[in-house]
Amino acid sequence: MDILKVKQLCKSYTDFTLQDVSFKVEKGHIMGFVGRNGAGKTTTLKAVMNMVRSDSGKVEVFGLDMSQNERAIKQRIGFAGTAADYYKKKKISRLLDITKAFYDNWDDKAMEKYLKLFSIDKNKTPSQLSQGMKVKLGLVTALSHGAELLILDEPTSGIDPVSRDELLQIFKYLKSQGVSILFSTHITSDLDKCADDITYIRNGHIVYTGSLSGFVGCEKLEDVIIKQEREAFYEKIDL
Amino acid sequence: MKKLIYKEFALATSPLTFLFLGFTVMTFIPGYPVLCGAFFVCFGIFHSYQTAREDDDITYTILLPVRKADVVSAKYAAAVIIQGVAFVLFAIFSGIRMVFFADAAVYKANVLMGANFVFLSFVLLIFAAFNVIFIGGFFKTAYRYGKPFVIFIIVNFSIIAAAETMHHLPGMAWLNILDIKNAVCQMPLLACAAVIYVISAVVSCKKSETRFENTDL
Repeated sequence: MDILKVKQLCKSYTDFTLQDVSFKVEKGHIMGFVGRNGAGKTTTLKAVMNMVRSDSGKVEVFGLDMSQNERAIKQRIGFAGTAADYYKKKKISRLLDITKAFYDNWDDKAMEKYLKLFSIDKNKTPSQLSQGMKVKLGLVTALSHGAELLILDEPTSGIDPVSRDELLQIFKYLKSQGVSILFSTHITSDLDKCADDITYIRNGHIVYTGSLSGFVGCEKLEDVIIKQEREAFYEKIDL
Repeated sequence: MKKLIYKEFALATSPLTFLFLGFTVMTFIPGYPVLCGAFFVCFGIFHSYQTAREDDDITYTILLPVRKADVVSAKYAAAVIIQGVAFVLFAIFSGIRMVFFADAAVYKANVLMGANFVFLSFVLLIFAAFNVIFIGGFFKTAYRYGKPFVIFIIVNFSIIAAAETMHHLPGMAWLNILDIKNAVCQMPLLACAAVIYVISAVVSCKKSETRFENTDL
């Protein structure tokens, strides 16, 4: 069953175009959204979340059209990452108290469980948390309302290898609970460890979307992508 | 919408916004352009937009289970509530002046606009200008607030200048009648201003919702 379907999404800026971006995320799967800096990962994720207005195309989540069912869909998804860096000086407990009022299925016990699991002190402010801990705070919010789909924008960027590994273990645990995860990254080694599928984007175009094994074969994802990016670069400079 | 309005006051509204409601007391100051009190109320709301941008309130709000357009209507609702409280305070203070101090020498000798129904009408016009020019202008980008606020300042002080001038023009002295019994003739002006305020807030909100839908965050 497809949890998320992105169909022919287009968005034009003066110096960049997202062209016919299409992919889907299956239930209980982890999909890595990969591409170099500026390839269009964040723009795509923001378009999925309706933070960026697409010129054309369609986003379906849980079989519902995002543009028509924004409230209902957002009740069932969680978003975290570099784009979510707000109210840094407010107490976490205060932020969670206000946030939970918006969710029909908020579970206080789950919130306490994940705060403890991730070692987050709710008397601190987000500004007192490291980048990795901020991602975990985003996950606490998402998991406390029972999100079935997590959309994470570069959640492992800028954090140390141990914390990164910890996050990847959490993703695997969530996957075992039936949660689907779409996360963008340019750290391809993270995907070798946990992803079922990948979507590879270059210059706003989807190069590949499907199973990870189907894309890499016996090679490492990083090697395959570097090879492809190098070929594209050589074509560009006409070597 | 109730939850979003609660969020506006619990998270996004600066304490200064509430503090600046105290400037409504300026209604009692003789020999002072009393409409400046309305400007300070708007300035208090403007300060909330500054702090909300620092806190990236728009991103926080849009990730909640709400429609993108709801973010805009909640901001308008919060501004209208603050302005509503300010208007009630202006009305109470004006009422006190008109009932108990209409004959006070300091107010009678005042060459500037007194507190009456015309004053309250202009308060509503200043609030309407703020909603259309500043809030409407802010939601063109959901980020830039400097230019819309500068434009609002110019319009605001033009309104104050017009209000302070009009009652000195021949045949317009009735605009500055201060005792409540004789000021009833000013009531239609207040009714017109109220209609303008409501219509401008609704139209500006709807227009801003459409603009914000097309804004990339």
